[in-house]
Amino acid sequence: MADFPLAINVQGDYGYKVIVVDDAATIAEVISTSVEQIVSVLVAPFPEGTVLRARIHGADEPLANGLKVGDANFVQMEALEIYVEP
Amino acid sequence: MALLQMDEWYDLARETNWTPSYVSEDELFPTPMSNTFDIPVETWETFDEPYKVSYRDYVKAQRDKDVGAYSVKAALGRSEFFKKASPHWKALLALHFSAVCWAEFHSASAFARMTRFSRSPGLRNMATFGTLDEIRHGQIQIYFAYEFLKHDAVFDWCHKSSKTENWIIISLRHALDDIAHTRDATSSGIMLNMGLELAFTNLQFVALSADAAKCGDHTFATMLQSIQSDEARHAQIGEPVVRIMVENGKKKEAQQLVDIAFWRIWKQFSALSGISMDYYTPLEHRESSLKDFVDEWVLGQFGRTVEALGLDLPWYWDILKDDVSSFHHANQIGIYVYRATQWWRPISGTSPAEREWLEEKYPGWNETFGKCWDVIADNIRNGDYEKTVPVAPPLVCNMCGLEVTGMAGDKWHAVDHHVDIDNRRYHFCSEPCKWIFELEPDRYKGHTSIIDRLFDGTIGPEPDDFYNYMGQSIPERGTDGYEYRWVDGYDSDDVDESQPLRAAG
Repeated sequence: MADFPLAINVQGDYGYKVIVVDDAATIAEVISTSVEQIVSVLVAPFPEGTVLRARIHGADEPLANGLKVGDANFVQMEALEIYVEP
Repeated sequence: MALLQMDEWYDLARETNWTPSYVSEDELFPTPMSNTFDIPVETWETFDEPYKVSYRDYVKAQRDKDVGAYSVKAALGRSEFFKKASPHWKALLALHFSAVCWAEFHSASAFARMTRFSRSPGLRNMATFGTLDEIRHGQIQIYFAYEFLKHDAVFDWCHKSSKTENWIIISLRHALDDIAHTRDATSSGIMLNMGLELAFTNLQFVALSADAAKCGDHTFATMLQSIQSDEARHAQIGEPVVRIMVENGKKKEAQQLVDIAFWRIWKQFSALSGISMDYYTPLEHRESSLKDFVDEWVLGQFGRTVEALGLDLPWYWDILKDDVSSFHHANQIGIYVYRATQWWRPISGTSPAEREWLEEKYPGWNETFGKCWDVIADNIRNGDYEKTVPVAPPLVCNMCGLEVTGMAGDKWHAVDHHVDIDNRRYHFCSEPCKWIFELEPDRYKGHTSIIDRLFDGTIGPEPDDFYNYMGQSIPERGTDGYEYRWVDGYDSDDVDESQPLRAAG
């Protein structure tokens, strides 16, 4: 287990932030940590039932929620967009 | 004996050169400092500056300018202006003086290099005046700024800031190191004069001077005018240098130097002038926006100058047009929410009336950046002050050193550009910042942003380690300039956390 820095941009926020997660954390946990730090701080709470997903910056497809950071072939400071699933 | 008229001797004196006998030409003018770009020295000797002045006339004009500026200062010195100034104007003064005073000395260094190492005698002559100009600019601004020190310790940072590792200072210093300190005399002549002075100083010195006069800050207005009159003269050094390069087959090289310097300095002025004009200038004295000024002076005037010199508009001109309406708005949010990392007292500049002005000048502002301000204002009105400061630090661009930002709110669009080298990821806020890096990765890759330093162990793990590293004791950490009273004008309906606060009016 090791700290792993990621750059995240939650939908609605004006720019990227840096968070540190455990490399054993799942993408779902990355989303949860991002929401905890940004929502109600710079982004209004999302309506109930909103589903958030994560994708590598610029990618079309979301990352699997169960994927672990350490298994995702991320580089340190990988940029992830946290967005509302359409 | 009657003195000759200047036009009877000027050209002869300006073109006077010499043949070294004790050292070789290469020793006297080493290429790393005196790059000729393979253009013959005889061609460089044709350098013809558009603004001609003798040393006698220069000294007289500068003395008159100083007498004017210092007289206004002395006459108004006992006024209560500063004490009565709004937190808006105090924030603007603190930001201007602490970012600009010492930057003038960077320019003095670049001009001194041109004075010593340029192959054009005429350029060496003009650069001598430029060196003196910039020393004067540093001195007069520090002198004027320190008058405020008796009212507010923030102004200690007018000189001190340059010696700190504060993240904003790292950003500005990295840009100035690149274009002013680490280039040969020819390149500096283009980058400093074209990319900085000709392109942007109007924004900070002419536009701001007009705003200062409207605000009744005549001391500041007079000082800025006094400085800009010098900038307008010595900024013209760059034009004949570019002309010689273009006419001698070096357009590509000149174009690249302009394009690098222009973008690097744009990013700095976007934050400095953009926030000053669109957020810190008191609304009642505010007329034109950053975008208005950039449209007229940069996209218009500077663009025409570049093309008249035989260059092309920078390849990122369309990116610039979008950036003018977004980058500084995003960075203003960051400056405010991470306010403890600033040495001055930042203000939001987003009262309901100010939001109307922003919406008028930047249609869509309320639905984009305004959405973030809704949440911030909501938290303040609920007394959730801790929530107004994000726990997560921002991602910082590995070229300009400012935040990596995109579009917020309903038109959310994440922006990031990156390069991977030696197992390190470099992030950039824009395509031009990435382009500059990729031109010379070896030149830039060793530089670390403040965020890199957090993660590479340069800065310790404790919260105070960060501020100590930046030279900020507890009283030197920024707090809201209005102590949150700016939300008083917001709609007074009960706050519902699920419904973001909207600006009244």
